[in-house]
Amino acid sequence: MSTPAQHKDGEFRPGDRYDVPARAAGGGRLFYYLTVRITGLLLTILVLGHFIVTHITTDVAETDTDFIARRWDSVLWLLWDWAMLTAAMLHGAAGVWISIEDYTPDHEKRRRRQRLLVSISTLLFVLGLIVIAAAIF
Amino acid sequence: MTLAQLLFVLALAAVLVAVVGFGFVVISSAARRGGGTYLGTGLIRRLQRYPEERAEFNRWAFYAHRFTGFAVFAFLCLHILDISLYALAPQAYDEVHVVYGWTPMRLSECALLFAILFHTFNGLRILAIDVADLGSRVSRGLLIGAVVLTALLGLGGSAIIMAPVLT
Repeated sequence: MSTPAQHKDGEFRPGDRYDVPARAAGGGRLFYYLTVRITGLLLTILVLGHFIVTHITTDVAETDTDFIARRWDSVLWLLWDWAMLTAAMLHGAAGVWISIEDYTPDHEKRRRRQRLLVSISTLLFVLGLIVIAAAIF
Repeated sequence: MTLAQLLFVLALAAVLVAVVGFGFVVISSAARRGGGTYLGTGLIRRLQRYPEERAEFNRWAFYAHRFTGFAVFAFLCLHILDISLYALAPQAYDEVHVVYGWTPMRLSECALLFAILFHTFNGLRILAIDVADLGSRVSRGLLIGAVVLTALLGLGGSAIIMAPVLT
């Protein structure tokens, strides 16, 4: 471990982490904060509802292709799953992003891992969109 | 076991390894520079303090929130892949879907339910702390509420999930 990250005034604040520069204040932070909170609030309903439908009111053994076909006949469920996919990928990727930031002191490694995260999340998100779109057309 | 089922089980095992590995990263990082996991010698002494002087439950909530969040996201990545089989290869989807009814998979679904419940209720608690500007006493009460709700709903849901293979 090398020297701790220094602030401009040279002071250390409680909770300062070694080698990880303080996150920049401003629009990016606020946007991140709002994204996580708003998608999180949406997901409380979307994910719990999804889990109840696929595990509680229907036994998981019954959720076969017929079950999906029946559910995706309804625009409501297509919208539900699209909203859930979008919110979950944003929320999850944002959470892992900040975890990588916290646990990867090396700048180069951090950027590489975050790029990998964005690539995987984007690919999976697009795949999910294609699956939902295929149900419509 | 068909090829699709084998691949799914292997992918699920990879997800579990990633989740356990992430857990180690969280704990070792906490021990190194997050002020400690605080599971050491002074635990009993600290728990005897007045609640107002104890903030460590908030820190544990943070670690648990991070861990459950990663676990749910890791499973979500696999879940998108297995659902995509519905559009790409319906036959393979039905094969993989059978695995969801197996007892070990049902147990992982119970674990997933607990993770989702804790992450949800603790997340709502974090939101409430910010929006309503709650102090440490109320936020600690809410944390206890979140844990109790997670335990109750988790056990109830697990009973329903496990019922078909237990009876």
